[in-house]
Amino acid sequence: MMIIRKALIRLGRRIAIAPARSWTRALATEVDIASIESSPSNSLRDTKSIESQVQNETVKVVPQIGGRTQSTQNLLEDNTAAKYAQLQQHKKLTNPLGSRIAPHYQPHFLVNDPPRPSDITLELLLASQAHLGHKTSHWNPINSRYIFGIRQGIHIISLDVTASHLRRACRVVAGVAERGGLILFVGTRPGQDRCVVKAAQMAGGCHLFERWTPGSITNGHQILGNCRTKVVDEYDREISGYDEELRDRPVLKPDLVVCMNPLENWVMLHECGLNAIPTIGIIDTDANPTWVTYPIPANDDSLRCVQVIAGVLGRAGEEGQKSRREKAMHGNVTYTPSALATGVSTKRGRMGRSREDTRGPQ
Amino acid sequence: MSSFASLAPSNYSPGELHFSSPPIARDALAVSPLDEPSQTPPKLAIAAPPLDLTSLPPPNPTKRPRHPRLPPSYFTGRPDSTDNYLNLLALLRRYQTLPTVPPAQAPRVAWRTVTQYRLLVGEPVRASKYHKIVEVLQRLNRIHPSVIPPDLSQAMEIYKRDVDPYAVKKKPAIIDEDGRAYGVGRRKSSSAKVYLVQGEGEVLVNGKSINKVFGRIHDRESALWALKATGRMDKYNVWALVTGGGSTGQAEAITLGAAKALMVFEPALKPALRRAGCVTRDPRRVERKKPGHVKARKMPAWVKR
Repeated sequence: MMIIRKALIRLGRRIAIAPARSWTRALATEVDIASIESSPSNSLRDTKSIESQVQNETVKVVPQIGGRTQSTQNLLEDNTAAKYAQLQQHKKLTNPLGSRIAPHYQPHFLVNDPPRPSDITLELLLASQAHLGHKTSHWNPINSRYIFGIRQGIHIISLDVTASHLRRACRVVAGVAERGGLILFVGTRPGQDRCVVKAAQMAGGCHLFERWTPGSITNGHQILGNCRTKVVDEYDREISGYDEELRDRPVLKPDLVVCMNPLENWVMLHECGLNAIPTIGIIDTDANPTWVTYPIPANDDSLRCVQVIAGVLGRAGEEGQKSRREKAMHGNVTYTPSALATGVSTKRGRMGRSREDTRGPQ
Repeated sequence: MSSFASLAPSNYSPGELHFSSPPIARDALAVSPLDEPSQTPPKLAIAAPPLDLTSLPPPNPTKRPRHPRLPPSYFTGRPDSTDNYLNLLALLRRYQTLPTVPPAQAPRVAWRTVTQYRLLVGEPVRASKYHKIVEVLQRLNRIHPSVIPPDLSQAMEIYKRDVDPYAVKKKPAIIDEDGRAYGVGRRKSSSAKVYLVQGEGEVLVNGKSINKVFGRIHDRESALWALKATGRMDKYNVWALVTGGGSTGQAEAITLGAAKALMVFEPALKPALRRAGCVTRDPRRVERKKPGHVKARKMPAWVKR
């Protein structure tokens, strides 16, 4: 009796010691759960539910993004192009319908299609807020000749004075452009970049809408020496064969500088003064008009005013360029040839020859 | 002096200068020290005298006229990158009304790095400026692929890397004609090449039985942990070539190699192997000894004086 009982107890112990077979062994991809659970890196020890175990056995597909995958291929096959073409067609038909809107101020017109010097009127300057000066306590007394009066605690600039100074500046810009001079348009305040770039493009000059690096004129060889240039003839066609001279040339300086915010760029104006470069600038009631050669008393804080002035000066430069090209067509070159080939560079000075000697008379 | 000193006629001399208003003498503008002793002198900049534009220079058809032409952004000091940015902005303005896709669905592009862009333009471009360029490019890239104009795609090509990393597709691991799967594992300074074939459970390491190579039971078990944890000890034969390091390093290297080879046969085992700790390459290496320390971290005993 005791032998059978002991045997039964031993059997029971064996059954208790032997691990119960997991139901997952019936699955196709069998895994020994016990050894995984005993592994120190098992992070699923806490979540012992069967559902989570089953979920983790199955392979999940993560949607990939990249190259010509399913989603991008679907984009090409959906009918967006057709729908967009339909929309354009619909717009063409419906645009002429509806009421006619009277001509009014549209900000992008000032940048894309600026006014001409002949369009300078007091109404335009007034609408562009050019007459608004600063608080009376912030004025520079030298500007008293430009001020019309005081209203609501600010100085009001005389618009007829503004208009006359602006027209003079236009004549200067046109004259310099006509003589093949290099005009630099500078406007470093946020939002002035578009009008400054457009003005430079029209006048065939250069633009600057980020901080002026001090020494760009006085130390130009160091700061601007690496920038490449090219040589053009009177018809603005590039001439080759001047690589040597361009390498040895002294760094170029502008012949006229137009500044939209002289208060922030006083270093640049000082450098121009040191190098006898005439300057044009928008002088507000708190600015110093002696900093520039041709002041334009106007509001430098209004972006619309700056766009009008930059646009008008750009148009003036455009007219000057046009006049220069027309004269060149008739054989009248409005400038003396640059000292590029006739000046003695250090290299050729040593060699003791000039380009004319090697190439012969042109 | 400006290269256009001859803007005035050739008989120019200082005595014939024209002034719109009398020039302001420097002395008149100077501030006497008795008037404002404590203040710094005001910023005085005497502008250049006005130009004489009353007459044009006489025409000279003898010499072929020539003068330098500068890029518009010459005075920025970074002409090419500035002009590039302006061109991109102009393109964006022109095409901003075209339909766009959400950023996740736009084609994945590897734009040039700042260093690569600097080499391309040859200018010291600020990283912040280049990131602005990349922002514009990302917006342009979001234009729907079916309506994107060809000149725009051409303009964007310059900013893409020469080698597209997203075009690189990993070669899928294969089982060769002899039925072998190959996996490489590394640990510390050991490197193991492991071949797995369907079999009965034989294991050879460097041509020898595993009992001869690894004296410790722990090492033997960890070397074949990938098979043990998934219950496939009797299903595969293992042929391992391992070099470098010591016993533990070599054993762990075989672990990783065997796991990689097993994943070639049964890719669905990856989550199980990850839980078993066989998938990650252990990056730990022996830390070097440093000057002033006895070992990598141990320092000599601190002495008060």
